[in-house]
Amino acid sequence: MSLLASIEQQEKETHAAIDAASSTAELDEVRVRVLGKKGSLTALLRGMAEVAPEERVTIGTAVNAARDSLEAALAARKTTLESAALTQRIEAEALDISLPGRAHPLGTQHLINRLTEEIVEVFRGIGYSVVEGTEVELDYYNFTALNYTDDHPARGMQDTFYVVDRSGDVAAVQGESDVMLRTQTSGAQVHAMEEQKPPIYVLSPGRVFRRDVADPSHLPQFTQIEGLVVDKSITFGDLKGTLDFFCKQIFGPERKTRFRPHYFPFTEPSAEVDVSCGICNGEGCRFCKGTGWLEILGCGMVDPNVFGFVNIDPEEYSGFAFGMGVERIACLKYNVPDLRMLLEGDMRFLRQF
Amino acid sequence: MKTSLKWLKTMVNAPVDTPEAIKDFAERLDLTGTAVESIDTVGAALDGIVVGHILTREAHPEADSLWVTTVDVSAFNLGADGAPAPLQIVCGAQNFNAGDKVPVALVGATMPGGMQIKKAKLRGIESRGMNCSARELGLGDDHEGLLILPADAPVGAAIADYLGLSDTVIDLEITPNRPDCMSMLGIAREVGAVYDLPYSVGREVPAAPKGKPVDELVAVKIDDAERCPRYTARIIQGVTVGPSPAWLVERVTAAGARSINNIVDATNYIMFELGQPLHAFDFDTFTLDKAGKAQVGVRAAAAGELFTTLDEIERTLSPDVTVIYDGNAQGGSGATIALAGVMGGAATEVTDITTTILLESASFSPAHTSRTSRNLQLFSESAARFERGVDAATCEEFSLRAANLIAEIAGGTVCEGVIDVYPAPKEQPVLQLRVGKLYDLIGAEIELVEIIGILTRLGCHMACHDRKDGSVPENSICHIMHGSDCVTEKLAASMHDVVIPIKPPSWRPDLEREIDLYEEVLRIWGMDRVEKTLPGGRGRIGLEAPEQALRKRIGASLRALGLNETMTYTFAAPDDQERLSMPLPEHQQPVELLNPMNVEQSVMRRSLMPGLLRSVAYNMSRGVENVQLYEDGTVYAVSEGHKLPKERALISGVLCGSWAEASWNAAEQALDFFDGKGIVEGLARELALAKLRFKPLAAEDASWLQPGRAAEVYAGSLKLGWVGEIHPLVSAAFDIEAPVVAFELERAALLNAARPARDYKDVSPYPPVALDLAVVVAEDVTAERIIQTITSAAGNLLDEVRLFDVYRDDEKVGAGKKSLAFSLVYRAVDRTLTSEEVEKLHSKILRKVAASTGAELRA
Repeated sequence: MSLLASIEQQEKETHAAIDAASSTAELDEVRVRVLGKKGSLTALLRGMAEVAPEERVTIGTAVNAARDSLEAALAARKTTLESAALTQRIEAEALDISLPGRAHPLGTQHLINRLTEEIVEVFRGIGYSVVEGTEVELDYYNFTALNYTDDHPARGMQDTFYVVDRSGDVAAVQGESDVMLRTQTSGAQVHAMEEQKPPIYVLSPGRVFRRDVADPSHLPQFTQIEGLVVDKSITFGDLKGTLDFFCKQIFGPERKTRFRPHYFPFTEPSAEVDVSCGICNGEGCRFCKGTGWLEILGCGMVDPNVFGFVNIDPEEYSGFAFGMGVERIACLKYNVPDLRMLLEGDMRFLRQF
Repeated sequence: MKTSLKWLKTMVNAPVDTPEAIKDFAERLDLTGTAVESIDTVGAALDGIVVGHILTREAHPEADSLWVTTVDVSAFNLGADGAPAPLQIVCGAQNFNAGDKVPVALVGATMPGGMQIKKAKLRGIESRGMNCSARELGLGDDHEGLLILPADAPVGAAIADYLGLSDTVIDLEITPNRPDCMSMLGIAREVGAVYDLPYSVGREVPAAPKGKPVDELVAVKIDDAERCPRYTARIIQGVTVGPSPAWLVERVTAAGARSINNIVDATNYIMFELGQPLHAFDFDTFTLDKAGKAQVGVRAAAAGELFTTLDEIERTLSPDVTVIYDGNAQGGSGATIALAGVMGGAATEVTDITTTILLESASFSPAHTSRTSRNLQLFSESAARFERGVDAATCEEFSLRAANLIAEIAGGTVCEGVIDVYPAPKEQPVLQLRVGKLYDLIGAEIELVEIIGILTRLGCHMACHDRKDGSVPENSICHIMHGSDCVTEKLAASMHDVVIPIKPPSWRPDLEREIDLYEEVLRIWGMDRVEKTLPGGRGRIGLEAPEQALRKRIGASLRALGLNETMTYTFAAPDDQERLSMPLPEHQQPVELLNPMNVEQSVMRRSLMPGLLRSVAYNMSRGVENVQLYEDGTVYAVSEGHKLPKERALISGVLCGSWAEASWNAAEQALDFFDGKGIVEGLARELALAKLRFKPLAAEDASWLQPGRAAEVYAGSLKLGWVGEIHPLVSAAFDIEAPVVAFELERAALLNAARPARDYKDVSPYPPVALDLAVVVAEDVTAERIIQTITSAAGNLLDEVRLFDVYRDDEKVGAGKKSLAFSLVYRAVDRTLTSEEVEKLHSKILRKVAASTGAELRA
């Protein structure tokens, strides 16, 4: 057999072997046998010295062509085999993805604190800073400087938790005291006005206490957020706009607000604010007791007497204040049926939020 | 304030004629500042009771006292042909005849007493309904026989409609600033102002026959006018105490009171109608002087004085209580006969045999009344009104109406004249309402005519001529109106500068400043009409204080570490610290409540642990065994001599059970000390605390923790708190059987030690060399000490050291010893380390560890 025919033969056989290889390992064997250092085709190239010079070009070209063709075939076959192997592996590795994922302990935030943070962020966005006060407060900050008269019913010991006054002072009414658990975070407003000069834009979240028996809709301790603005030319319209903005941020842009005149000692004019019921869209349903409205806020223009206690001139400045109960908003937003769940620490409840 | 719309309608023509109209009316009141708490229909209980016409009356064949009647009830009963047919009703009354009209309760009706009318057989005769007496309808005590109705009563008409019993009572929330609305008259006036309608007092009371001059019978003395600005007394002689007429019963009942007798009902009626609380004394219980005169006085009670109120309870008084006294009693030193404005005394109470009434109509100080009520826990309709303030200007006028009413319904004569002690009649202030300022505060320009209209309807008037010197202020509306022919033009030009002098009525003590008038104008004009705007202020920036930012970081870190935030009661039981076995410094006292809800919540907490442990127990008792909770909360302690306590914020956590129950791909692992420690370490990493250290806590320093599983936590030398496993005895005291891992850290200390971020450390691009180091040491050599020795010996070429194995074995390792295996990773930031370099350093570390801890290298 001529050398050329042998090359041709070898090339043909090798192509057959490549096609027949069923794994990359087999394929590699073929490559080593033919194209490896000691491979048969490589040997032919090595033996070129023994080829007659006039044939060298022809033989060389033939060998190189055979090698190129085989290498291309090897590469193609390799790709095919690898892809088949990958497909096979992927098929074998398929999972029942309905099995539960691997659990990582990840905690939850208490509903009330989460909501408080959310509300604080809404107001921070329109330029309010947070001020915090103490939970045990003096009568002056909780009542007197907020324009409560000495005999205002809220001072009654049915409503306010009084604390033993260890300074030795004695209160005018038996059973009461100069020291109490704050009934509202409004005292922080007075502290803020004592400590800052207008413009004042502050928000005061915190725990407050009222003497209510814990039941599905009452807790003796709950969370209140109060806001205070003191600046030049603040109007009742500004108060309305601010609280309307807030309600839409928290409850949704489609909700409406309504202002009903009310009375608070530290604001005048004062109002209670309702947000339209989200269940019936204001049509009236059981949730809103047929009124179409849900009460969520108390507010008003800062009473000039309050400014008097902190030496701010009501002829120069005006302002507004508002307050809301976070638990109430939580109930409205999340339908919590019993407020006591908020203080029980039941993991099944906490992990829902 | 319970308001009968039927009654109101006699005073002002309010639009309340249909249920829809009542709903709109209630909303209008809500939107003008009088909240409606409930709307109740009364008389509705008489549903199914109609006017019936007795057609026949036959004796019952089986019973002597019963009658068989046929009663026409119009279309309420239909025969087989579909036409109205009479009902057969068996009846036991004797006072009726065929042809009478009577109330008939149809089958299915529920009587006011709760009885349901059913089809029945009485002694064998079928009866389909009930002919009713007045008492059965709840209309009085007469049960002698059927209520015979007038002959023209329309057959089939609902009895409630026919008798006019239907009424709607709305309960109004009256805010503390509105004493005037504690009466029907006040409500009528308010409704008149809202709807621009005229109002009147309604029912006419005829003038009573006059008796002898009152000043021959009584004198009045006020010892302290601050407690009692005005006291009036009238005397009605010859009254007969008895039941009240039906109209009076109906009205006092609608107002929420119980009918007692005609005298008490009359005084209550006037209180509900006009807002003036009255007290009727039995005049014959007074001690008379030689001239036959009684002496009534008002003074402070004596300290410790005992007094029996008409509820037969003996009460101890203090000088803060104002009392009414009989000046001639006890030889002229006087005896207390009533707590002024709060409650009368048992001794002078009106009884069935009373014939002469001394009628008190006075004004008492709100503050004293309120404190008396609060101190004695004695709340009455009268006190509720005096607490808010009763208009002294009208005591005398209202007393006359009351006296005439008593004479009208109880007979007798009203003594001529009145004893009226009114030392200092109050002059109403004149307020200057600056229209421009009103506009600036409200943010709306309300028409001048509306402002004046609203205030006038509320009883204010423009006080142009009320200034004593006859002058009117510059820019005053009066000046403009009287000084120019061209009012409208001038107003339009200078609306903002207009000033309106306003004199509020005496019944509005809350209108004492200009701002009070703004509120009136705004609420009646309509808050909904004010346009919504946002403040235009320039100088505001929303800032977050460092401690607020830190709280958020702490919370986020603990949640990322797997803890769930909770909130517990800030109230605690006095023995909670003892139960927790956590003593506190003796100079610190707990914050004690004067009026706790119960003993278990009578002090403020001093640790978050009791609350958290209770939550653990709560979960356990409900079958939830894996509990991971934290709380960021306040604890309180006060020092003797101080008013305010120190409030400290603690960050505390409890862990119980495991992170999660066993799963198909994860085994369940019980939580222990190291989970707690891991959380503290994780938090420290997030807060970039420097030099976190744990020191073992001895049993005597932490009796609430299990000895040997307790540590104090430090950042450098700053103590942060503790971590450990709760002592089994303490857990048991909180009804927990499983081990509880817990920690408590001071937030202030965390704030002190926290840094914004950890320091930058070069990230090496060069390959690491990892070598293990296993040593056997005595039990008392801590891992922390070995790691410290390793790090200090290694210098900056040691990238990481990690304890990966702890092994004890009496034979292989030796008794009282342990084997610790560390993985050390060496790496330089500026070059590839050579193996010689690393081996040299590694053996140096070995030597140092051996030298300082007595460790032997383990093969």
